[in-house]
Amino acid sequence: MPGLESALSLLRQFFPPDLSFSYIRAETAPLFETLEIAAGAMFLALIIGLLFSLIIGARLPGSRALYGLLTTFRSIPDLTLAILCVVLVGLGPSAGTLALTLFYSAAMGKIFADLFSSADPGAIEALHATGATRSMIAFYGLLPLRLKDLLTYGGYEFESAIRASVIVGAVGAGGIGTELVGSLNMTDYHRATTLIIMLVALIAAVDFLGFYVRRQPKLLLVLAAFGAAAAWHHWPHLMVVTQALKTFRTMVPPQLPAEAVRELPTLIGQTLLIAIGGTLMAVICALPLGVAAARNISPLFISFPVRRLLEALRAVPEIVWGLILIGIAGLGPKVGILALGLHSAGALGKLYAESLENVAAEPVMAMASTGGSTLSIAGFAVLPLAFAPMTVHTLFRFEWNMRAATIVGMIGAGAIGGALFNAQQLFFYRQMMAYVLITWAMIMITDAANVRLRKYWRVSEEL
Amino acid sequence: MLEIRNLVVRRDHKSPRVLNQISLSVNRGEKIAILGPSGAGKTTLFRTISGFLPILAGSICVDGVEVSGLRGRRLRNLRSQIGMISQRHDLVDRLGVHQNVMAGALGRWTTLHALRFLLRPKAAELEEAKRALSRVALERKLRSRTSDLSGGEHQRVAIARALVQQPLVLLADEPVASLDPILSGQILSLLCSLANENGFTLLCSLHQPDLAYEYFDRVIRIEAGKIASDEPRQAAASPAVEVAVGA
Repeated sequence: MPGLESALSLLRQFFPPDLSFSYIRAETAPLFETLEIAAGAMFLALIIGLLFSLIIGARLPGSRALYGLLTTFRSIPDLTLAILCVVLVGLGPSAGTLALTLFYSAAMGKIFADLFSSADPGAIEALHATGATRSMIAFYGLLPLRLKDLLTYGGYEFESAIRASVIVGAVGAGGIGTELVGSLNMTDYHRATTLIIMLVALIAAVDFLGFYVRRQPKLLLVLAAFGAAAAWHHWPHLMVVTQALKTFRTMVPPQLPAEAVRELPTLIGQTLLIAIGGTLMAVICALPLGVAAARNISPLFISFPVRRLLEALRAVPEIVWGLILIGIAGLGPKVGILALGLHSAGALGKLYAESLENVAAEPVMAMASTGGSTLSIAGFAVLPLAFAPMTVHTLFRFEWNMRAATIVGMIGAGAIGGALFNAQQLFFYRQMMAYVLITWAMIMITDAANVRLRKYWRVSEEL
Repeated sequence: MLEIRNLVVRRDHKSPRVLNQISLSVNRGEKIAILGPSGAGKTTLFRTISGFLPILAGSICVDGVEVSGLRGRRLRNLRSQIGMISQRHDLVDRLGVHQNVMAGALGRWTTLHALRFLLRPKAAELEEAKRALSRVALERKLRSRTSDLSGGEHQRVAIARALVQQPLVLLADEPVASLDPILSGQILSLLCSLANENGFTLLCSLHQPDLAYEYFDRVIRIEAGKIASDEPRQAAASPAVEVAVGA
């Protein structure tokens, strides 16, 4: 088994990690910068996203157009946005903060709007009956009805933003991402392991914090203060507008040469293969892991280590999994499937576990009162009750993986992302823009298909 | 059958006592209505009998088994003897009606048996579900989706589940709270006739005194966590008491 031997030999190079005090101390600053980028961007994105979603949820004038705009904007992968922002405001954490603010304002705005749209219609109708205005209903009905879900999603998106701030760091937008990609490129695997461990610890700390914030929402004020300070510190104070416009002019109109057009079906096929294969692999891994991690099903000695494993899997961004796995799986879609599968297994496993933990207590208690075992009750009550949110999470993950398939494509998994990255590296900006638009169209089609699937499975109203 | 002695219960360490020095003795096959305003402690009493809430002081014995301190298999054994239905019906909407009904058998099934049933129910098991549903006149809904049922049908499926469980005691927590008067009468009549046929003890919490006096052998009134009155139907149904209870 020479393939397995070479894979093991490569994996061995990652150990032991460099745990010298001087190195860890030196990397604390970029780690904190990553946290600042994520917190600053999330603070701004929460305000913008919540405002937009309330406008949509309350069905105020212009809400349909706003929803369309959010859907369109969140279809641009964050790494693509980061490249554009680096061009606009230069290297450093300002570019990262700007890119993530744009991306997460749209992402959270859309998710929150979906949550508000599916709020209990009876309660909303009762508020309408009092003669309240649409804005009043937003604050008296939509917000309180969905507060728990907003906090769950807010916490999850914050974690996601930390990984994204690592990803945008890879293209020069600051933080620990630059350090990590630098270590991997220089084959300094011992230090790469150290950085991954630091990242896992950061994600674990955020997960821990998220758990307490859901119990004590007042803690959000502390987080908001930190986010506001970070946003103020890193927000780009001087926008190079003329430079941005000049660059933008070289991107339009988008154009593909004949050879690239012939290759297009293969590229699209590869992108779909990576996204579908990665999501399938993630679901297969996340189902047992999610059950094992759910605190209301599994005992602590199982749920605790499984939660840490899930944190480790999702703490490493897809792009970093890709860079690690290229040495093992080689170039091509296979590495993309593995990278997306491993990262998404961590993300879905956690969301599955939370869906299982958040089920209504009464039907579960009714089942428990029949005297069934814990696993029987999980099968008869907890899993069916969690089916709707778990399906929605899976479909959202598939949407996410369509974007991520572009990102892993850039580091050697091929597909549209590879072609996009090559065009950008060769300054073929019109070709690059064409690939951006094709990616955007694919993601829009996937999103529309997901909406239909959610309706078909009757899960859209039950998140 | 059911002996409760000086029972004291709190919902958590910080809250005041929800049940305070409750004592109650219930014979096999008795049909008892428990009246009381919201927050009086009726639901807490039922949840404590089923072992879902810890006992601060006092004791509960079900068929000679002390509830306090039971855990694991022994607690599940006890629960399999105590059926429970509530005002919220507590069915799992995503499951089929037959699956919700046969959930009553979970206490006597192994885990593997339970999970196998979800994937591939046997004909005999479906027949048992159908028999239970026919007792509540819903056999035509055997293969329906639970989410498609009406409020009254929900409640009858919950009763069918309790029948499959074959309990010694059935605790019905405000089972007619969300139903209209005609349907309420039908459900209570059904519960009482099933209790007579199957010989189980029935404890039913209610808000409506008229229904309590019409259908049950004994009427207990709880106020602020204490038993305010405990009388057989004949005594309670006297006009003077009726006025007092209704007040």
